[in-house]
Amino acid sequence: MTQGILIKNAYVIDPLSGIRGEVMDIAIRDGRIVEEAPPGSQVIDAGGCLTLPGGIDSHSHVCGTKVNFGRYMSPEDMRAGRTSRKGVMHVTSGYSVPTTFGNSYRYSTMGYTTVLEGAMAPLEARHTHEEFTATPHQDMLANTLFDGNWSVMEAVRDKDVKRAAAIVAWTLAAVRGFAIKLTNPGGTEAWGWGKDVANIHDPVPHFEVTPAEIISTMIQANEILRLPHSVHLHCNNLGVPGNFRTTLETMDLAPPAQGNRQTLYLTHVQFHSYGGTTWRDISSKSEDIARSLNSKPQVVIDMGQIMFGRTTTMTADGPMEFKLYMLHHNKWSNHDVELETGSGIIPVYYSRKSLVNCVMWAIGLELALLAKNPWQCLLSTDNPNGAPFVKYPEIIALLMSRRMRENERKEIDPRTEHYVPLFALERELDWYDIAVMTRAGQAKALGITRIGKGFLSPGAQADVAIYPLKPDQLDPSVDYQQVMAGFSRTLYTIKRGRVVARDGDVVVEGANSTIWTRSRVPPGYDMGSDPEFTKKFDQYYTVRLRNYPVQDVYLPRGVCIETEAAL
Amino acid sequence: MDFLMTTGRTIRQGSYVERKNTPSYRDEASCIRMNPVDMLELLVEEGDAVRVTGNGSSVVMRTKPDPMLPRGLVFVCLGPYANVLASPWTHGTGMPDFKTMPVSIEPTTDAPLPVSALMKECGGVPYED
Amino acid sequence: MRIEDVVCPFCGCLCDDLVVSVEGTKVLSVENGCTLATEKFTGDHRLAHPIRRTGGSWEKTTYDVAIRETAEILLDAERPLLYGWSGTFVEAQTIGVHLAELLGAVIDNTSTVCHGPSIMAIQEVGHPGCTLGQVKNRADVIVYWGANPIEAHPRHMSRYTTFADGFFVKSAFRDRKVIVVDIRETDSSEIADEFVKVTPGGDYAVLSALRMIVRGKGELVPEKVSGVTREQLFRVANICLSARFGAIFFGLGLTMSRGKYKNIRNAIELTEELNRHTKFTISPMRGHWNVYGSNEVFTWITGYPYAVDFSRGIAFYNPGETTSVDILRRKECDACLVVASDPGAHFPRACAGHLASIPTVQIDPHVNATTHLSRIQIPVAVTGIDAEGTAYRMDGVPIRTRQLFSTDYPDDVAVLGRIYSLVKEAKG
Repeated sequence: MTQGILIKNAYVIDPLSGIRGEVMDIAIRDGRIVEEAPPGSQVIDAGGCLTLPGGIDSHSHVCGTKVNFGRYMSPEDMRAGRTSRKGVMHVTSGYSVPTTFGNSYRYSTMGYTTVLEGAMAPLEARHTHEEFTATPHQDMLANTLFDGNWSVMEAVRDKDVKRAAAIVAWTLAAVRGFAIKLTNPGGTEAWGWGKDVANIHDPVPHFEVTPAEIISTMIQANEILRLPHSVHLHCNNLGVPGNFRTTLETMDLAPPAQGNRQTLYLTHVQFHSYGGTTWRDISSKSEDIARSLNSKPQVVIDMGQIMFGRTTTMTADGPMEFKLYMLHHNKWSNHDVELETGSGIIPVYYSRKSLVNCVMWAIGLELALLAKNPWQCLLSTDNPNGAPFVKYPEIIALLMSRRMRENERKEIDPRTEHYVPLFALERELDWYDIAVMTRAGQAKALGITRIGKGFLSPGAQADVAIYPLKPDQLDPSVDYQQVMAGFSRTLYTIKRGRVVARDGDVVVEGANSTIWTRSRVPPGYDMGSDPEFTKKFDQYYTVRLRNYPVQDVYLPRGVCIETEAAL
Repeated sequence: MDFLMTTGRTIRQGSYVERKNTPSYRDEASCIRMNPVDMLELLVEEGDAVRVTGNGSSVVMRTKPDPMLPRGLVFVCLGPYANVLASPWTHGTGMPDFKTMPVSIEPTTDAPLPVSALMKECGGVPYED
Repeated sequence: MRIEDVVCPFCGCLCDDLVVSVEGTKVLSVENGCTLATEKFTGDHRLAHPIRRTGGSWEKTTYDVAIRETAEILLDAERPLLYGWSGTFVEAQTIGVHLAELLGAVIDNTSTVCHGPSIMAIQEVGHPGCTLGQVKNRADVIVYWGANPIEAHPRHMSRYTTFADGFFVKSAFRDRKVIVVDIRETDSSEIADEFVKVTPGGDYAVLSALRMIVRGKGELVPEKVSGVTREQLFRVANICLSARFGAIFFGLGLTMSRGKYKNIRNAIELTEELNRHTKFTISPMRGHWNVYGSNEVFTWITGYPYAVDFSRGIAFYNPGETTSVDILRRKECDACLVVASDPGAHFPRACAGHLASIPTVQIDPHVNATTHLSRIQIPVAVTGIDAEGTAYRMDGVPIRTRQLFSTDYPDDVAVLGRIYSLVKEAKG
């Protein structure tokens, strides 16, 4: 591939390169950003339009067992978003849980080129990778679940952090995972008995370790392995009124950062920032959470914004989904995974007429507006839990326009303002903040700038999104409709140096990469030959050790980030 | 005599499933299991041929006593013999009533056909390998 | 050569601990497998070469001719049906779905006459389930409802339930209670602690009665419900309620009998009720080794697990209308591609008759009932023996089957890939 592209007159915001809005040219060759485009390059005149690194979603549920079960159980959702075959585009179905091609096309036309799947059970990793291959326009990464991992909990109980690290190293390499994910640590094991843990100091049945111990040990293990990303945590007590205390206590577990990135990533924090004691007196505790965040550069969060309307909730947090089902009484799926984790799915409708939903809606926005540093609060809906990702442009517009928020205030439950500080917040985010919160911040937090993700200076991967938005002619505070429309559909999405989408249509077949990590450990720490570890496969797993690892054939274009473990 | 016919898997049916042209598959798939008292009343013994009629079609099978079956219920493993009698109506579910087929059974001197001949009856052309 | 940890491509148990000895392209012996596995691995009834039929006689043909004619048949059809898929691997199923999309065909898998009603029920009320290891390690109560694992899934009990020792259940046979519900006694019911014999078609009422008891409305349950005494219903409900972890497995005794998907819905709702008191899961006993894979692939590409109609450009799903038996009963399809299944044997005769009256092509390693109804049959390698690819166990766990040796047979991906290319070329 020697094809080049020259993007002229681009209004570039590239936070990682320190470019805060400059009209310039971008040259692409062989899939990378270069100083100069080769002769005969395709020329794209951006005409002063907003040009950003390709969007990166650092927490989204798009591929794997529970996502597909969300589709399987929801023909009503499939009918709610369907498109015919068109050009190179396959048929798509689904609104909140689109088919893989549906996800891929919709992300691509919004300028997204990299997506992290938020939760992959190691035992079912092969499934996630099969769907990754069918999501061809984004490079994919898989958070790998360790929240209820028996071997890990035993290491935690024995206070053997090195062993915990070795288990993580073996597992990530075996399942081609990217990072450590803890979903309601300890709670998913308790859910194997229909129970949950009440707080981060509540011991897990039988294993007698606490969530706090699991979290702290895994943070240390993560740093021993020098993984690109930090521990990625879905805190205990998701969705429980008063859970902000659990969240604050959890944030206190994050040790100071040693290097350039956080030591703890908390995901969908909106769902973890509730005051009150019941659904009747739930209130926003975004200020408490933001205060803690603002004093802890070692913590990064994503919003987990909810948006009004129908969606599907899906998480490894099985007990939480059952509690939610007890509220909604719609339909409920659950899928516990032996020795590892759980999961649950229920459809929901977030209503402007529900005070609780209005409070939730406000909290997500507040977190983003109260976080002083946009690098510490990334834009997400925990797709599709808070809303399908196609709502991102609307969230961007809300963050950029106080007027839009005031208009929305008129539509929602009038009592909301007594429970939330949102309408007192004057802050309006700017284009730079949005660029950080939708790509640069993700690249930094995930530690994938090292493979050229999230920026546009020479050497970077040529993932570029050009939006039909002219920042010097727009006032987002007023023109929020245009902001919304602009972020919904790129003029061009370029992935690895190739135009993949134009004006809302995907124009090539696509061929993505899967990014995974391997930490080299000394032979003594190779769990593949550890008698205690392999005994689990002989006695308790229903899959043999030899049939467990994901074979190379599942990653036709795998990109491995290798690290040297400090063991 | 009238019966309710139900179907299901048997280990033999599963064992022979990849050689449906063989006598062993035919013998298993055309075996109709019945309560021994029902067999007495029908005046048939183990291995006797019976003509089973239902849904406007009929098929010849061979009987086998099975005391575990209640009277009035007969069992045939799933397959082309049972399906001669299956109605294609699904009540809007896609699923025929494979487990509950009303049939009548009478002794016969005919023998069960091989699978290929059953398929010929409904328009196929037997392939003999 | 002894090959260990071999994956068995027969039933939904997808056992992966077989030891198979092979010499060249012959399987000498199978250890750890059940009878079905041994028969599958040692079977030698392959169709040797592609065959085609003109009028009333069969002839040997080549792969090139058979594949080209198959593409022509599909291109010539106005409403083709692509049926089967459960006996092949995910990579082949993927090509099948894309072929259906390209043709504007209906694509359906064997769930349609198996656990299709279970899927419909799940679409109404969801599915509280788990992986099989969760049951093995924790469950102290097992319920088989309308299922006869000893005949249909011979190692289910020894690998996952009744006889499988687990982490929290050290001595399974002693510590685990087994309840079997069926309309007849079976080998499985023989080893149950509690056998509940239901009159045919009575499952829905029995499930309702159990739900009433669990809900605390037991006083309303009559003396006998569908042949089951009130006393036994209470006993069963109490066993369930006092379980630490209970697991219900259900079979075609529920999906095929009166009430169909409503039976499953009721069973799922019973499971949900029980979860308010203790831990309970429910799981369908999926038949084919990779029927669940076909549901998964269909779903991630089209949004629906089976019975997908592409004729209007979009993916459309409506069981009862777009299901194979209904389409064949209405004599609606004008060509059929059968892959890795045998509708000739497993569909009602009227449906088999329609298959005989239209150009039907079969891709399958063996001569089966559908062979006699077809115009062309293309033999392929057997997945898990001389081909490999992904399969999904009945609980959704994906496992890669292993190729034990190679033969001259192309695999399903090779054959379907060539058909797809020809169709794509013609469609432009």
